[in-house]
Amino acid sequence: MTLTVCPYCGTGCQIEVDYSGDHYTVHGYTRSVVNEGKLCIKGYQGLSYAGSHDRITSPMIRRGESWVNVSWEEAIDFVVKRLREIRDRYGPDAIAFQASAKCTNEENYLLQKIARMMGTNNVDHCARSCHSSTVAGLIRTLGTAAATGSIRSLKSTETFFVIGSNTTEQHPIIGTTIIKQKKMGKKLIVADPRRTKLASMADVFLQFRPGSDVALLNSMMFVILKKGLIDSDFIKNRTEGFDEFAQEIEKYPPELTEQITGVPPDLVEKAAEIYASNRPSAILYGMGITQHIHGTENVMSVSNLALMTGNLGKYGSGIFPLRGQNNVQGSSDMGALSEFYPGYVPPDSEKVETFEKLWEAKLPRKIGLMLSEMFDAAIDGRVKAIYLMGENPVITEANLSEVEKGLKNLELFVVQDIFMTETARYANVLLPASSALEKEGTFTNTERRIQRVVPVKDPPGEARPDWWILSQIYSKLFDREAYGSPEDIFNEIRLAIPNYSGAKYADLYPDGKQWPINDQHPDGTEILHVDRFTRGLGKLMAIPYRPPSESPDDQYPFILTTGRNYYHWHSGTMTRRSDILERESPNPYVEISVNDAKRLSIRNGQTVTIESRHGTIKLPAMVTSKIPDGIVFVPFHFKEARVNLLVGENLDPYSKIPEFKVVAVRVKA
Amino acid sequence: MIYELTRDDMEKLYQRISQEYETFGAKEELGEVIFSRISSFSEVSEEKSSYSPKDFLIKRSENILEVPRADKKAVFGVKSCDLRGFQIMDLQILNKDPFYTVRRENTIFVNFVCNEMCNGGFCTSFGGPVLDRYDIQVLHRDGKYFVQADDRYERFLTGFKISQDQNVFSRHSQEFLQRYGKIDLNGIEKRMKWNSKLWSEFASYCISCGACNYSCPTCYCIDVYDDETGRKKEWDSCILEGFTRTAAGNVRPELSDRLRQRFYHKFKYYKLSKGEYLCTGCNRCVDDCPVDIDIKEVITHDYDKE
Repeated sequence: MTLTVCPYCGTGCQIEVDYSGDHYTVHGYTRSVVNEGKLCIKGYQGLSYAGSHDRITSPMIRRGESWVNVSWEEAIDFVVKRLREIRDRYGPDAIAFQASAKCTNEENYLLQKIARMMGTNNVDHCARSCHSSTVAGLIRTLGTAAATGSIRSLKSTETFFVIGSNTTEQHPIIGTTIIKQKKMGKKLIVADPRRTKLASMADVFLQFRPGSDVALLNSMMFVILKKGLIDSDFIKNRTEGFDEFAQEIEKYPPELTEQITGVPPDLVEKAAEIYASNRPSAILYGMGITQHIHGTENVMSVSNLALMTGNLGKYGSGIFPLRGQNNVQGSSDMGALSEFYPGYVPPDSEKVETFEKLWEAKLPRKIGLMLSEMFDAAIDGRVKAIYLMGENPVITEANLSEVEKGLKNLELFVVQDIFMTETARYANVLLPASSALEKEGTFTNTERRIQRVVPVKDPPGEARPDWWILSQIYSKLFDREAYGSPEDIFNEIRLAIPNYSGAKYADLYPDGKQWPINDQHPDGTEILHVDRFTRGLGKLMAIPYRPPSESPDDQYPFILTTGRNYYHWHSGTMTRRSDILERESPNPYVEISVNDAKRLSIRNGQTVTIESRHGTIKLPAMVTSKIPDGIVFVPFHFKEARVNLLVGENLDPYSKIPEFKVVAVRVKA
Repeated sequence: MIYELTRDDMEKLYQRISQEYETFGAKEELGEVIFSRISSFSEVSEEKSSYSPKDFLIKRSENILEVPRADKKAVFGVKSCDLRGFQIMDLQILNKDPFYTVRRENTIFVNFVCNEMCNGGFCTSFGGPVLDRYDIQVLHRDGKYFVQADDRYERFLTGFKISQDQNVFSRHSQEFLQRYGKIDLNGIEKRMKWNSKLWSEFASYCISCGACNYSCPTCYCIDVYDDETGRKKEWDSCILEGFTRTAAGNVRPELSDRLRQRFYHKFKYYKLSKGEYLCTGCNRCVDDCPVDIDIKEVITHDYDKE
């Protein structure tokens, strides 16, 4: 038995795995402070992908139309030579790097270090598409872009406010924490366009229209203000910007916002009263908040609600952005973001000098291309090379036709992955990497807990851990000594990121620690912002409601919203290779309401066509009462019906996150 | 025959068994008790393992196009409830599942009788924790190890001191029952109601993780599928919608239907067809359930009041 961390969602459940041959056993680690021995179906059934015979087992270079197996030396020499040529010919900004929230902290740190030492901040990863708006929003209002409390602290929460998160399906073990507390009599408010499991057991369910988050939250705050349920002492001592904020809130009586949100005023009032008076209250949110053109403003509105009621810095209260992938928090901490060096240092900050000293290199000072911009830059020729680690943008990015066009236009496309993904088919070079079950390092979960990842099996064939591959490239590219182990890299991370400075690699096992870990808090920090906010005072922001990028009209009368289901994960490269998970959800589908289906003469299981202004897909209908009239939902896991073909390139101005959650479409039987 | 062994004797017993069998045991690692290879009796933990030893006989997944074979294994420190799980499963799958059967025949379980009821456990309802059938059964009490073996394995005990107290197991059983009492099953197979609100209440919490099945020492259902390397069988869960999809879809489309089926199978169908309840009172399904669904509630629920 080997103790490691589940490779799926950001909860970071600790699992014990015994992998021998093609067989494995898995158990939840009963002493884990994160999951207390519990697991969801992905934990129990989702690990067989690592033993799949589809794994890439040799480095490969494309020669003409065919792939040729080559040695590691040849592959790495080729990559290094081509990267150098392209940099010398077009400049460093002609190269873009795509890191991965599925990889370890050490790997993400190394990839962004390579990018920046090459001279470009063109390094980004899928956090752009999930929580970049959380980063942009919470850094502005609180100063730290992370969950403010711990999963354990949710046992002390009196009121849960879940907005835009299907928690029991996407973060099941956090979802079940809420269920258990609800059973014990705690309060639960759920705001979601879909009737999720939590919604069906909530004290108040606010079934609002996609994209009307700010209007809904502002109207809740209107009620709290009018009924005097604010925490005046907290506002006075701990926050700034109240007057301007309150002026804006005055404009959102629930009677008025009902036209925007579709939520009856009495429900808004009830929710507001419960949240504000039954404290401590915690807000948990997911992509329903973040994946909008006003994603950052949504996040700041969430922050406003917590600030005005004093629901921060106290045990059981707080804001919990639920991270979708195992290491989104960590890869963001590591600076695998084009606007941040490690530890969220902006490129124009003088703190970049610390990295220049640490890395002994001159570093770029202007913000690089974000994930969503890299493919456009490839189309118009500004980017000539992309180095991609463990991502599958051909399925997961918005505006997919542009992604494929961009990839075809590259001079060099290096893919480091465990499978021949839909994206890898466009590559010139394939570097066979290791799954999370075959390597060492650390992941940082959704509650800031740095946990050790321990190999349970060997990688197949010539596949190597990502950190090893990157270390070889780093060594050859810059003529530096290669790293000997993930611990070596982690020790450098401690020097680079103050919040990680006190985290000793050996001490992170078997229990992880929550950052900040430093001299003052050697055992880590369970609750943030206890006495003061990271930025000093918490900032209340005046956020006006603006409509989403697309609204239903005569031509496109439905709102499409996208997301994941319980059994699959992202582009399905891992979960669709698990027998049981694939059996539970083998086909793409579109959820449509009973009334809409009847009106359009659509039967359950019938193939329908969905068209947006950007593309068309065909897939079977799932007629359900879970979804309200006028809205359809499609999960993005399925290559057979890539829903992101329908999603346009409408970006949040702060974070450049695409609006995956609101697309105007029409449905044809 | 009941023997009385010292700790040193137990080590000797271990040595004798290890001459013929690969030895495994419940063992403490990183603060919890798991099953692992052992090289001496002193490594064996007497605490309840974190999971049942089901995997020794039913692999989580395996290729069924291979010839069923099994190494001789001895597993020390199995709890009586978990061993009883195999005995109940035997009624259905022994001599039917060739992989289970060959391993069953080649595995010795050395079960430890508990001195205290584990948290939430209710083995007394099913006659535990002393078993009347066993391979080698151990009771560690009053500083001594009382050991009894099935005829097949009596040879491992020859030469050890024969206990003066040949009633120690039955006395322990009575004392245990007196101390902890039992939940009265009270003809549960007749009492459960098809339309009980219990099923939909459970369904409102259940997230279909499968933990109750995977942790259960009596759940034996499998799925069969093909992949590049062969035809596999693997642990399945009757809580999942895709269970029995091979038979043109699950006849129990609602989660509440599937939860009811699980309990009806455990407390009614198996009892009527095989004469035993498909439960040992180990409480593992409750321990591993992320939403605290308690199988004991199915037993104690007052169906008549609904």
